[in-house]
Amino acid sequence: MKNLSLENLSKTYFDPYAGTTVNAVQDVSLNVDAGDFVAVVGPSGCGKTTILNMIAGFVPISGGRVLVGGKEVKGPGPDRGVVFQSFALFPWKTVAENVTFGPKMRGVGKAERAKIAQEYLALAGLSHAADRYPNELSGGMQQRVGVVRALANNPDVLLMDEPFASVDAQTRMTLQEELTRIWEERRPTIIFITHDVSEAVFLANRVVVLSKGNVLKEVDIDLPRPRSWDRLVEDGDFKALSNKVLQLVRSA
Amino acid sequence: MTYAQTIWGMYVRWTTAWPALSAFAPFVPLIALWGFVVWLEIFPRVFLPGPFEVLQTSWSLLYKGILPAYLGDSLVRLAVGAAAGMALAIPLGIFIGLNQRAHDATWPVLLFFQAIGDIAWLPILLVWFGFGLTTMTFVIVYTVMFPVILNTVLGIRSARPELERAAQSLGASRTRILFEVTLPGALPNIITGLRNGLGYGWRALIAAEIIVGTSGIGFLMFDARRAGSVDEIVVGMIVLGILWYIVDSWILAPIERATGERWGLVTT
Repeated sequence: MKNLSLENLSKTYFDPYAGTTVNAVQDVSLNVDAGDFVAVVGPSGCGKTTILNMIAGFVPISGGRVLVGGKEVKGPGPDRGVVFQSFALFPWKTVAENVTFGPKMRGVGKAERAKIAQEYLALAGLSHAADRYPNELSGGMQQRVGVVRALANNPDVLLMDEPFASVDAQTRMTLQEELTRIWEERRPTIIFITHDVSEAVFLANRVVVLSKGNVLKEVDIDLPRPRSWDRLVEDGDFKALSNKVLQLVRSA
Repeated sequence: MTYAQTIWGMYVRWTTAWPALSAFAPFVPLIALWGFVVWLEIFPRVFLPGPFEVLQTSWSLLYKGILPAYLGDSLVRLAVGAAAGMALAIPLGIFIGLNQRAHDATWPVLLFFQAIGDIAWLPILLVWFGFGLTTMTFVIVYTVMFPVILNTVLGIRSARPELERAAQSLGASRTRILFEVTLPGALPNIITGLRNGLGYGWRALIAAEIIVGTSGIGFLMFDARRAGSVDEIVVGMIVLGILWYIVDSWILAPIERATGERWGLVTT
């Protein structure tokens, strides 16, 4: 795992309908230490998904740099694992084949891949579903596959783009708890995009509030781990922090 | 009411026991209606033979070996033409689907030539190649190619962009993305193209055999017209229908069930 830093990252694009240039992201600088967990929140249109797409290399950067472990990145690469809101699993591959897709692309042999599949499916509690196709799984199970597919490729940083936004509320809470457990076990560097304030506060060590393409404020979340909803839902510190972040987002 | 329910119950039980029966059962009322119209003798028998005469004729055509030989000829022509058409169309479709410039340059031409249907080529082909196998093969290859090309292009171009992004961020090269992501995603469309292509190709073949042929089901039917034996024409028509049902339910449908439907890309 390595650190991720954004240096004066900007994105401008031309809006053909309005006939004007739009600054979606302006001068965003941010450092995520190796093994840290940072959440980025902000109202819709604040540029948070654009930032993630630039880090992942899916869209060109207009200005500034993205560095992973001190090295500037250009275009998409296996050093940055991505978890998508739409899961983006390969429908024609079984769960095990999805999870070992990255290793397969690296040329890892079949026997080794089987071991990787076993390890990561166990991590996600999906050992029983190894040979099933994604469309045979519930949304929550599909996103568990999405998370371990990214992890199984040993990325330097993990980019998560509203990964739990399209599952139901109960499943979402379970997935959030599982993600904190996995993070504590393996300590990947995570940048987590969300519009859900309590999700950000629950998961992260630090919450970055964005507003109109700028960093409005960074809030440290010093809640003890392991975290669980049973305990935190009535916790005074959690409520105070959530409230603080919520006020920032609403003022944004 | 209870009678209808009893009969329906029997039907359901029997078709569960013998699934092949459910393919034949819908034809029972149709054949009965046909027999009834013939029995009324509205039309002379020579114009409209009954089910039994047609059955007798098919038996005698089978027995003499004419039907198997002609059927074999037609099927070989279709198989060769379809294989050649696919071998040309799928790579071409992939290329046009992936390359925007190739797409811009060829799409209007493809639509133009697709519109000049199979049979519309026959007059000029007869001038060029005469009454022979070349003409027939050309027509089938041509007919199979266009639906396959157009659907392959559509399948490639309707790929979900986030799947490509996912593959890229897992370290897949362009070539690997093509084979692991783009082509499997386009497969349901390619199969649809194949289904259409084979259907059109089969019809084009019969038409070509009628005009060009010296053998084949189309020739059998047209030759029977010359001899005035309507029952042989009807046999030819029935064979066409049965054959397509077999191709569809024994070859195409299983492929679809094993791919697109299994992956949840096609809803049934």
